[in-house]
Parts: sequence; structure tokens; C-alpha cells
Amino acid sequence: MNTKRIIFWICFIIVLILIVWGLIVAMNKPATTVGALSTPPEVTAADHVLGTSTAPITVIEYSDFQCPACGIFYPTVEKFIKEASSTVRFVYRHYPLPQHANAPLAAQAAEAAGKQGKFWDMYHLLFENQKDWSELPDISARQIFAGYASKIGLNTAQYTTDLDGAEGKLKIRTDYQDGAAIGVNSTPTFFANGKAVNISQPNYEIFKAAIEAAAQTRIP
Amino acid sequence: MKSLKQLLKQPLKHVSLRVTLTLFVVALLGFVDAAYLTIEHFQGKIPPCTVGGCEAVLTSTFSTIAGMPVSLGGAIYYLILLIGIFAYFDLKNPSILKWTLALSIPAFILSMWFVVVQLFILRSICIYCMGSAITTTILFALTMWIYHTHRAPELEITS
Repeated sequence: MNTKRIIFWICFIIVLILIVWGLIVAMNKPATTVGALSTPPEVTAADHVLGTSTAPITVIEYSDFQCPACGIFYPTVEKFIKEASSTVRFVYRHYPLPQHANAPLAAQAAEAAGKQGKFWDMYHLLFENQKDWSELPDISARQIFAGYASKIGLNTAQYTTDLDGAEGKLKIRTDYQDGAAIGVNSTPTFFANGKAVNISQPNYEIFKAAIEAAAQTRIP
Repeated sequence: MKSLKQLLKQPLKHVSLRVTLTLFVVALLGFVDAAYLTIEHFQGKIPPCTVGGCEAVLTSTFSTIAGMPVSLGGAIYYLILLIGIFAYFDLKNPSILKWTLALSIPAFILSMWFVVVQLFILRSICIYCMGSAITTTILFALTMWIYHTHRAPELEITS
């Protein structure tokens, strides 16, 4: 092999390495879309809230029960809520995306459970069993959600009435419209003290650090 | 129309620089696309759910085989293609190109299967996966064209 050909091949390998390296560098850059988000509306009595109103950090999540990424973030969020319960108030808002056929129904099931004070019980079951109902037709998803309603001890007749009730649907639509108005276009989208959180990995430490950075407050 | 077996048996004539470069550029695009998805997988990043987003496809059971992302297979395929095309460029041996391009046949079949999975099983489309399906289809079409139009003349055996 003469020198010219060796150089030819070395250049080829260097170009490939540069492409892969360039991709890695570009992908490690923080997303710029987060900066475009405005401040979400204040927490109201209509919101589903964990923690006290005096907590120094308020985390708002715009989420979709059928979104796999939200499902993957769910255990991290759970751990975070438990470990930072004294300093964090957590608010869940609906943002069911149009490509997720069962997401609105799942949100309605959570709202119907919320009417009986068990929003969070339904929230847990929906995320923990997300794969069981995500791809099912509407009627089968309804049956599964009715099973969850029984499991968490809801008055099932009341739940069935509330499931398609206007109140729950209005809350979901309001959350969605509020989210869209402030620029939310993907789920999960987190805000800490009104600032968008730049996070793409469900690692607990990274998540906690991202919340602290956005809220500019340390979590002990 | 010759059978695939016959096409593979027959030697190829030299392929022009323009066609070789086209193959190289398309394979490079495919490589960048597949490498992007592979890096994303190994970085542990979760694609957020967006309208028209990839999350349903990239988090489905079809996206990995034995824990390895399907995109890794795609990246390796495009890498072999790039090396083969580059080797042809260097050595000017048409049989290197012929056997390298033969890979585009199973790649095309697999790619079509993944398009079916997206459209009819997951009912969700990932733009990066469809991008790879397009590059694979172009490479397959170019391969078939080369196999048909660049056949070396058959040797006539006379007694």
C-alpha cells in the first residue's frame, strides 16, 4: 500500500470519527426550546397538588398519561416528591397529545377519581400500568380504567358518571390550552418556580439538579 | 428479467464516479441518521412526546433486539456500505462494490418491515426511522439499477 492510499484511508476514517464526534457534541448541547416557554398560570384550587403551599419550590408538570417518556419519568418524579416533600410542592397538569388515542380518557379517569378525592391513586395506577392500556381500543381501555376505579375503592357508579362528565373534560381542556398558550409542545414539561426545567434524562440526581437550577434554590 | 441469484453471479462492469459518489452520499446520510438514534439510545436520553414525535416508536418493543437498538444495526450496515464503496473507489474492483451493494437487499426488506410496524402496528411514525427507510430504498433502487445496467458481458463458451 503506498503512502497516498494510506493517507486516503486515514482521511476517510477521520471524517467518520468527526461525524460521530460532532453528533455527540451537538446532542449534548442543552435544548434551546425550553427557553421559549413562558411562565405557567398560578396554582389554583382546581389543580392537583402534593405538598404545602409554603414549600419554597413549586414544580408543575405538564404530562400525558399515555406518553412513554412521562411513564419513564414517573418513578423519578415519585422519588423526588418523596425525598423533597418538605421543600417541594408538586402540581400535575394535563397535556394529552393528539397522537395518544387513550390519553384523554386516562385523564378523564384521573379527574373522575379526583372527584372522589383519589386523583393520585388513579395517577399511580395509570402510570404504573401504562403499557397495559396504551394501545387498546377505547372500550377496552374503559374496562381497564373501571377496574382501577374498583381497585382504589371508588364508588363505581359515581365514577362512571364522572368519567364523561363536563367538569373533568373542562379541567383537561383548560390545562391543555394553558399549556399550549405558554408554549408547551411536548411532554413531560416541567417548571420549577415558573421557570422551564431543561431535562432529558430520568436520572434522579440530574433531575434534582435541573429542578434546583431552574428554581435557583437548593433542595436539602 | 434476471433472477437475483443470476444477477449476483454475474460480474459487474466499472461504475462511474458520479454513481459511486451518489451511493456514498446516500449511505453517509443514512449513517448520520442511524448514528444519531444509536447515540441517543446509549446516552439514555428519553425523547419527549411531541406531536409527530418519535417516542412511541423509539420506546416500543420493536426498537431493540436483545437490548441493542435496531438503529445500531442500521449504523453498522451503513458503515459497511461506506467502507465498501470507499474500497471500490480505492481498488477499482467491481466485485467489492457488487458484494457490498448486495447488503442493500436484506436491508431493504428489513426496512420495509419496520415501515409496516410503524404504520400498522404502532400506528406512529418516527421521522428519523422513515428517513432511514428512504435512504435504504434509494440504495436498494440504485443497487438494482447497477446490477441490471452494469453487467459485464457474459463469456460465451464455444466448443
